[in-house]
Amino acid sequence: MKRILVPIVVAGSFVFIASAAEPQLTKAQADFFESKIRPILVNECYKCHSATAEKVKGGLLMDTRDALLKGGDTGPALVPGKPDQSLLIKAVTYKDPDLQMPPKNKKLTDQQIADLTAWVKMGAPDPRKSAATVKGKDPRDAGKTHWSYQPVKKQAPPSVQQSDWVKTPVDNFILAKLEANSMKPNAPADRPALLRRTYYDLIGLPPTPAEVDAFVKDTSPDAFSKIVDKLLAMPQYGERWGRYWLDIARYSDTKGGVKRNKEDDRLPYAWTYRDYVIKAFNDDKPYNKFIIEQLAADKIPLGRDASPLAAMGFLTVGDRFMNNPNDIINDRIDTTTKAFLGVTVACARCHDHKFDPVPMADYYSLHGIFNSSMIPKDLPVIGKPVDESAAASFNSKLAALKKQETALEAQERAAKKNRDKKAGKKLQAQKSQLDGRIAQLEMDDRGSPPKAMVMFDKPKPTDSAIFIRGEAENKGPIVPRRSLEVLGGPSRPAFKNGSGRLELAQAIADPKNPLTPRVMANRIWQHHFGAGIVLTPDDLGVMSDPPSHPELLDYLAAHFVEHGWSVKEMHRLIMNSAAYQQSSANNPKFAQIDPLNHLLWRANVRRLDFESMRDSFLFIGGKLDQSRIGGPSVNLFLEPYSQRRSVYGYIDREGLSETFNHFDFANPDMATGRRYDTIVPQQSLFLMNSPLVVEQAKNLVRRPEFTAAKTEEEKLDVLYHIVYSRPPRPEEVMLSDSFLKDTKPYKSVTTAPQPATASRAVAKKKAAANKKRPETPVEAFRARAPLGSWEELAHTLLIANEASFVN
Amino acid sequence: MNDTAMNQKYSPFNHGIFSRRDFLEKTGTGFGLLSLAGLTGMGLLGNEAHAADASGPLAPKQPHFPGKAKRVIHIFAQGAPSQVDTWDPKPALATHAGQQVPGMNGVAMPSPFKFAKHGRSGIEVSEVFPNLAKHVDEMAIIRSMHTDIPAHEIATVFMNTGSLRIAKPSVGSWVVYGLGSENQNIPGYISLRPGRMPPGGSQNWQSAFLPGTFQGTSINTTFDRVEQMIQNIRNPYLPLDEQRRQLDLVHKFNELHAQNLQKDAGLEARLEAHEMAFKMQTEATTAFDISKEPANVRALYGNSSQGKQLLIARRLMERCVRFIQVWASGWDHHSDIEGRLSASAEEIDSPLAGLLTDLKQRGLLDSTLVVWGGEFGRKPTKDKNGNANPGRDHNNKGFSTWLAGGGIKGGTIYGATDEFGGQAVENTVHVHDLHANILNALGFDHEKLRYRYNGRDFRLTDNFGKVIKPLFA
Repeated sequence: MKRILVPIVVAGSFVFIASAAEPQLTKAQADFFESKIRPILVNECYKCHSATAEKVKGGLLMDTRDALLKGGDTGPALVPGKPDQSLLIKAVTYKDPDLQMPPKNKKLTDQQIADLTAWVKMGAPDPRKSAATVKGKDPRDAGKTHWSYQPVKKQAPPSVQQSDWVKTPVDNFILAKLEANSMKPNAPADRPALLRRTYYDLIGLPPTPAEVDAFVKDTSPDAFSKIVDKLLAMPQYGERWGRYWLDIARYSDTKGGVKRNKEDDRLPYAWTYRDYVIKAFNDDKPYNKFIIEQLAADKIPLGRDASPLAAMGFLTVGDRFMNNPNDIINDRIDTTTKAFLGVTVACARCHDHKFDPVPMADYYSLHGIFNSSMIPKDLPVIGKPVDESAAASFNSKLAALKKQETALEAQERAAKKNRDKKAGKKLQAQKSQLDGRIAQLEMDDRGSPPKAMVMFDKPKPTDSAIFIRGEAENKGPIVPRRSLEVLGGPSRPAFKNGSGRLELAQAIADPKNPLTPRVMANRIWQHHFGAGIVLTPDDLGVMSDPPSHPELLDYLAAHFVEHGWSVKEMHRLIMNSAAYQQSSANNPKFAQIDPLNHLLWRANVRRLDFESMRDSFLFIGGKLDQSRIGGPSVNLFLEPYSQRRSVYGYIDREGLSETFNHFDFANPDMATGRRYDTIVPQQSLFLMNSPLVVEQAKNLVRRPEFTAAKTEEEKLDVLYHIVYSRPPRPEEVMLSDSFLKDTKPYKSVTTAPQPATASRAVAKKKAAANKKRPETPVEAFRARAPLGSWEELAHTLLIANEASFVN
Repeated sequence: MNDTAMNQKYSPFNHGIFSRRDFLEKTGTGFGLLSLAGLTGMGLLGNEAHAADASGPLAPKQPHFPGKAKRVIHIFAQGAPSQVDTWDPKPALATHAGQQVPGMNGVAMPSPFKFAKHGRSGIEVSEVFPNLAKHVDEMAIIRSMHTDIPAHEIATVFMNTGSLRIAKPSVGSWVVYGLGSENQNIPGYISLRPGRMPPGGSQNWQSAFLPGTFQGTSINTTFDRVEQMIQNIRNPYLPLDEQRRQLDLVHKFNELHAQNLQKDAGLEARLEAHEMAFKMQTEATTAFDISKEPANVRALYGNSSQGKQLLIARRLMERCVRFIQVWASGWDHHSDIEGRLSASAEEIDSPLAGLLTDLKQRGLLDSTLVVWGGEFGRKPTKDKNGNANPGRDHNNKGFSTWLAGGGIKGGTIYGATDEFGGQAVENTVHVHDLHANILNALGFDHEKLRYRYNGRDFRLTDNFGKVIKPLFA
């Protein structure tokens, strides 16, 4: 178990809203119980003192709080708050020769005793539900009553006082809650700000000055909804929203880990999955179909167009864990269940889920499904190469390399047979190099046809045994391949169709599944407001914070299913609301009551993610290449800089670019429904010093609109309209003016030679490695010509906050 | 931005240290000049010029009581080093070789390495550490460490934050929060890694609910040049004074932007980030340039990736960086203990011994707490997944960690594992306890170093942690 299988509670989520139910235990208490107390009870006591014990000794059960309070033959086992009076503590301290537990001199450690004592002292907070008849599987029952596992109830929009504010039913839910707290929503955002927000939300780029102007002048009542429709129809929409899904699908162009096995680690066709996702959003592919294709496109009739096969990259672009099959399967279970269901099923790899109703048997049901699937040696071709005339030459080049590969494999087998380790190692290295050349050819050659990273069913699907404590060599009972108990109930049927992937996909995409539509509705909401109705988008389980607007979430989920699982319909529903269109202005009084803006009394100020920021800079510089959608991944950080959108950037999970790291890019090793939001000096260094940014400032002042402007005022006006979608304010004109006037010639920067610290041989080796792995940016520092004063001013506008924040 | 409002409350602007009006006045009247003046000092340890202009959340602060240690270097032996092959000799493994170990699901596997006594203290150390062994009289070796979960990512983050589940600040963030920094030109908390991110990624140096300025700055040291280690550390177009002029304009624009919007900590935090970035350009460039070290010092650390990291670390200490984390990973030896563990040990043995020698020579060891250890330990049994050349499996119940310098009583062995080395049984030390002792060395009562967040006081050690007197001189 390599990953954190538990939700990370994001900052801010400790706050409970007045209307939300108080949990019985604080997080700290639950934490303490789970990390300290439960392990002791389970490992040291349950064998003789639980409902599942073969023989319960001393009449004492310890698997519920009530049972402990009731006690056994000698009386109550504990008195909350009073360790001195608790038999439990007396027994474990071994002070009484007649009462020593655990028996036979297996005294607990001092730390364990201290933990138990501390626990009793704090009142013995215990999340285990008090149903004495429960057979030790409390989370299953406790969890079953959790809200997210209950059917979605289509809610009627509540009535509100300020009914003229309401634009869509979404507003009833938001306003009702605000009014219940004696609050009211903000005034609408001004038109340029609203347009900028809408553009960034849907296409990840700012509007042009002409577009702002047209919108400001359009007084028709449907002016805004026309904009939403227009943006939803643009291919840039899929590039923006596809990237959110790629975060969840832990997309990467490399396998990770295998490098230590001396295997080439590139996934030359990962990009076909990325392009599938972008197209799916652009086509408004019904979300239920999107699910089924990603898990089982190989099992459904596709007609003449084989391209949806690429959807299965969802399963196959993950880490390959040095080819450890169980880790690979774990990653697929983890990603599938978090992405679609918002349940952390992978927690049940080693033990029943501690909080959610997911027993180990469920995990190994899914294990059987993925273990009965495999990646074929030859991936199916799903389209034409970029340049069809180059296809023949590509095929012959590939055939030549494949022939070499076959020969090498034969030699390897021979070496293995002769137990010639040295030759084997050499051959392995040669093979790795050859694989690299094949991958490179497949990625770069213009005659290389795209292929889908599919999985197929194995000829003989098999059920998996439970791995006791997650240990592969420690097999327990075999469990059938079937859906999760929380979805299908205890008597759900076993899957019959091959591996069962299609049936699993259908169970997930079932309109009656309460999780699937809620999870996706919450994800869509989150990207429009900066925070979800549930703050942890990948976990709606027992450990997640209660939703801020549970009725609204159900309304959205029901609406989603009723409208053919259309994501674009959800955008329209949400964005046409008054709640979405309000301004982000502050209200000190409300900021006191609801500082985290859970109730949405205003729009949140949001920082652009890395992709939107970089794409905007290129767009502002007039250089963003929007001529085509899709294609093999490109390096974003080496000069001459690619002008393609960031979604096409090459992602190496083993060596993620530092710039990605600094800007909170999604971890390509795990489903990420929500990125971190940090502010660190390296971001400032990027804005201040990176040629990638500065060159765009230079391009900006070379744009014809700028060069055509005659006066200083006109020039400044052009800059502000392009960068911030508004005219400069008088103070800004003054500041800019004095900045330009004060400009004095300055000494240019020089490239001071720095002695390399590594030996020449090492440097050479590294240079060679970097050539092979162009994604690692290691360019040497190179001084550039000084900036003109307008270039410097344009750059200043890009560094300033307004360029990377949206109101 | 959901964290925004939360941060607002804890923004330095709201603590009266650095009011918005102050800031406006400063930007209007030569804030930039002041910062430039700070840069010209370029001073080393304890330069008062740096301390003098510190007014933000990184201003130097006094701990609860005078602590010997003024800074910490934590060498994280990530991957979980085997204790019975390094610091915790267990002859019983040889006498019971191949036999079932009680309470363990496997058979005893003797260490392939010899142990010998070293120093005045006569502490036994494995032959894999021939150079570090010479420093045992500086070390307090804790042989009774234990942690909660034997999974790398969770345990690694746990070792750094003391939290299994929720995002909590890392040790370094707490230390810088408590002590501030004596140098405002470089981050107070720097994490050095030779290549890819460790398991858990940036969670390992996160500030969580503490302000972002206490977050660790992670640096990939595999590159040869400072400009490559710290991307964009130099501006290729503008000299510093011109850039200062530009940055002042940025601040003024940002101030107007914020006025036209609303109070927002995200916007304000950028001011600090920009200023730190500006100052880092000079200070960090020098700090990371180990070519400035004389040949004999370079030789002491050796020409290897760990030698380079530790030498950079020492240069950072001289520049008053409070907390330095050095990642020395690769200890996950499920197979071939003999070959692979000795290789991992060799990577760090001579460079780390070099650091201890160097710190001592410079009189810095007394004020520097050195911590070496992994996230958990390994079983004394044969790894069942192992092939003909076995290794050892994960084990959270017992492992070794050592401390040196910073008021630590050298030549100490604290605690013990059982006969076979699989479980800490005597004077056990939990991760929370280790944290309590790191804070104690710096002069903090770990129960009093607190931060109020959402109505509750948080500590690094949660509700646990005990100070272990015998570790200290």
